[in-house]
Amino acid sequence: MQLRPGSRSIVRVSDNPGPADQRPSPPMPDHAHAPHAPFHRKEDRRLVTGHGLFTADRKFDGELHAVFLRSDRAHANIVSLDLEAARSMPGVHGVFTAEDGKRAGMTQVLHMLTLKGSDGQTPRIPPRGAFADARVRFVGEPIAMVVAESVLAGLDALEAIQIEYEDLPHVIDAERALAPGAPQLHECAPDNMAWVAEAGDSAAVDAALAAAATVVRLRVDSTRIIPNPMEPRTCAATYDATRDHYHVYSVTQGVNMMKRQIAVAAGVREDQVTVHAQDVGGSFGNRSAQYPEHCAVMLAAKALGRPIRWIGTRSECLASDYHGRSNLIEGQLAVDGDGRFTAIRLDWIADMGAFLTAAGTSSHTRNPVVLLTGVYKIAALHGRWRVAFTNTSPIAAYRGAGRPDVNYVIERLVDEAAAKLGLDPADLRRRNLIGAGEFPYKTPTGSVYEATDVPGSLEKAVKLADWDGFKARRAEARARGKLRGIGMASFIENTGAGVYPKDQVDIEVDAQGRVHAYSVAHSQGQGHETTFTQVIAEAMGVDTARVFLHEGVPDRTLIGNHTGGSRSLVGAGSVCKLAGLKLIEVAKSAAAAQFDTEPSQVEYHAGTLTDRASGKSTTLAELAQRAEGLRTQAEASIGSTFPTGCHIAEVEIDMQTGFTEVLSYVAVDDCGFAVNHTIVEGQVHGGILQGFGQVFGEKAIYDEQTGQLMTGSFMDYAMPRAGDVRHVTIEENCVPSKINSLGAKGVGESGCTGSISALANAMADAMRPLGGPPMDMPFTPSRVWHAIGASANAH
Amino acid sequence: MYEFEYVRPKSVADAASVLAANSDARLMSGGMTLLPTMKQRLAQASHLVHVGMLGELQQIAREGDTLVIGSAATHDAVATSTVVRTAIPALAKLAGGIGDPQVRYLGTLGGSIANNDPAADYPAAILGLGATVVTDRREIAADTWFQGLFTTALDEGEIVVRVHFPVPKRAGYSKIKHPATGYAMSGVLVVDTGAGIRVAATGGGNGVFRWAEAETALTKSMSASTLDGLTLDLAHFSEDIHATREYRAQLCRVMAARAVDQLLG
Repeated sequence: MQLRPGSRSIVRVSDNPGPADQRPSPPMPDHAHAPHAPFHRKEDRRLVTGHGLFTADRKFDGELHAVFLRSDRAHANIVSLDLEAARSMPGVHGVFTAEDGKRAGMTQVLHMLTLKGSDGQTPRIPPRGAFADARVRFVGEPIAMVVAESVLAGLDALEAIQIEYEDLPHVIDAERALAPGAPQLHECAPDNMAWVAEAGDSAAVDAALAAAATVVRLRVDSTRIIPNPMEPRTCAATYDATRDHYHVYSVTQGVNMMKRQIAVAAGVREDQVTVHAQDVGGSFGNRSAQYPEHCAVMLAAKALGRPIRWIGTRSECLASDYHGRSNLIEGQLAVDGDGRFTAIRLDWIADMGAFLTAAGTSSHTRNPVVLLTGVYKIAALHGRWRVAFTNTSPIAAYRGAGRPDVNYVIERLVDEAAAKLGLDPADLRRRNLIGAGEFPYKTPTGSVYEATDVPGSLEKAVKLADWDGFKARRAEARARGKLRGIGMASFIENTGAGVYPKDQVDIEVDAQGRVHAYSVAHSQGQGHETTFTQVIAEAMGVDTARVFLHEGVPDRTLIGNHTGGSRSLVGAGSVCKLAGLKLIEVAKSAAAAQFDTEPSQVEYHAGTLTDRASGKSTTLAELAQRAEGLRTQAEASIGSTFPTGCHIAEVEIDMQTGFTEVLSYVAVDDCGFAVNHTIVEGQVHGGILQGFGQVFGEKAIYDEQTGQLMTGSFMDYAMPRAGDVRHVTIEENCVPSKINSLGAKGVGESGCTGSISALANAMADAMRPLGGPPMDMPFTPSRVWHAIGASANAH
Repeated sequence: MYEFEYVRPKSVADAASVLAANSDARLMSGGMTLLPTMKQRLAQASHLVHVGMLGELQQIAREGDTLVIGSAATHDAVATSTVVRTAIPALAKLAGGIGDPQVRYLGTLGGSIANNDPAADYPAAILGLGATVVTDRREIAADTWFQGLFTTALDEGEIVVRVHFPVPKRAGYSKIKHPATGYAMSGVLVVDTGAGIRVAATGGGNGVFRWAEAETALTKSMSASTLDGLTLDLAHFSEDIHATREYRAQLCRVMAARAVDQLLG
């Protein structure tokens, strides 16, 4: 098939298009009819017919089942823990606690902090083992593990454990945690402060704020989210005493990264651990992290000499999966008399929960520093990050990992500035956007943005959304008793540069001539089997059905990064292209030897190699059948790409009920070269819906008085539903990246980054005519209705 | 879950005898609430007596001015029944809006009203239509059936067999779904029985209730605007992380007005 760069349009229309007058007519998605173009993903038949191999699908001879006793307190000393009755229950093989973990050397976790703290301060990293040690710090923290013949026997034994707590005062709010007199979580972190970081030029921002014609101030809360991948968190372990080696089976985003984290946490060498994973059902950053349960099952596997399995329940996952976001941000935007931005200052409190995770702190500090100027030309920038401990589940990366948060505060500031200045938000952006000709663009905080075209995306989005016709639609809605609003967000993201220095891909041909590629990147729903094989098939001129992708194969010693930070197509995917091209060269050499000629005299076409001189030919399959086989390895070191976009959402609020309907959503994205438009569409659509979830109701809520998780089940945690955003128009405005062989930019998170800001701006726009103060998310029906009432009463 | 014995009775009488012989036995119809609760170890039973498949509990028929629905009729069966759609369209609509398709294929009328969840839809149907619950021992009128959250007039071991719904002159049901659960955040059934007006509201949090002021007002004039400014006792409503008491009362007002509009067609 032909891979084509450039712009295209895909429109999804529901069976109920609603008021038809405001929507563009949908062109048919032409790629559905293109030859060889896989409209359906290659992995879907296997996955939807129950032939996936998820961690919980694995069974082990002689396996035992682990269940966990978890803290039901936010903060307490463990006065006594009596395990005797539990140990003597039928079917119980062992009960494990912090003492066992400490004896095994499980006392710390890996951290990936790349930003220097203020005044050279290093982060205060509290120790963390497999179990709470003498003190619990959040509801859901593991205290003990029972290993038994069955889950039922284990649960019975859990009930026989006698535990006595001495409650301690707790703090669940990060701002309160940093205030004087707050309950203290860790001795190593006075004032509950993990660290403080600063970036930019504070004095320059002070001066710009003082000189500004207008200063807009806004405080926003990027709410605490529970990621909730569809597959519950699960792990299993076996121990090989003859080699002193662990096999760990786990949900993961990449086996290398997981192995490194597990080795650190378990106090063993990396070469003592093999991580196994095939299918993974969603991650959103959450499955990149190592967890205490990994150590716990390893501990028991070694102690008991039996395979140990743990399958998390949904309740356990809600309470003890690492949560996402939870950033409280105060922003200031300075604007001169011509409506040009002169300075931005952001003051963050980044809630990290009870412990630091490998990527949490880094995500919520480094990424916002890189993106502090947004998509705008602003001379003076300054940010401060205070990273706080609270008695809540730890925070880790979650789709976007700090990028949606920084975009949220900047784009809300821009819209509030437009309102204050009486300007069209699109016009205010036009005055300040980095122009398409101004790349590469070096920001005042030291990032270099690669080429893109945000103004072009804005103009496309404005046209698709009929931005200029909105006034009439608002008036018509108001006549029906509805508040209608439109909101725009422009954005830029830095995709994950990766933790490992390069990405390698092994490629080989089997005796039947089928091509097999091996990668460390690990699909959790992204469709790598579709896109990576497509890339190789295109590079080699063979059918995608003859190309197979294998991820996370444990015996391979590939160097490479996990799938996260929108990096896998950019990294491993582009190396797949290099691998395919390199394999052709290797095949030419092999054929040349066979033909007794020079490789330059061999012509390759669609799996067949021909000697120009003699006309003799051979195939990849024949070459692969030789003793030495046909294989090679390719690699590349690839940093961050900078996808951008402009999204526009249009909403309508029912004033009587406070319920909001998203009437239309336009997403124009620069994802570089798009290998597979269906996959791009799926990523953007899913990201938009996840953003919708956060904006309209997803929120992890802890009770201030008790420290209990109030959203501990789906009866209280409001997940978004497939039908919540139905009218999505996706268009690409692509400028190919120069840093990888495909020209691709990451698109895994941009839907989320764009939609949170666009939807929140649309809500602010809808409610602005009422005259009240701007409302922050979540826009739950009850909160919206009260805000409408409060505004009405005030006027 | 804790261990239990699964029992598939051959008749209601058979089920009753298992319940009588085992004080910790529980009756299961669709299991849509009981099973998740048991999975969480929040409920325990020595025996699970599964009556959901009993043929004698599946009946849906009109007998004169009464619609008779067996207690094990699923929400889907009620929602798609031509008999129900013809006799009481609002009831078919109510049943069709419960949960999701999976729940509607398994969940039953009897299970729902015996559970008496304050956010369930069927309690509004029982109270609003002035139905009579027929058990294996007696008949219980709607106005005495509901005895507080998750509590009914059912005695220990008593089994709901069917429900008699008087066919009204006209009725309308309007509901707004809870964003997390899909249960009724507010559901109001307005019924013109021909002899009077009944307004039953569910989803407020403190159990289904009749809105007496609305009944009086609508008796005088059947229009949505009649409800404007009527007293609505906040004690009917609860407050939690999702909604304030005042907001729930507001939803009740709005759903009542929309139910009136539907009743008027």
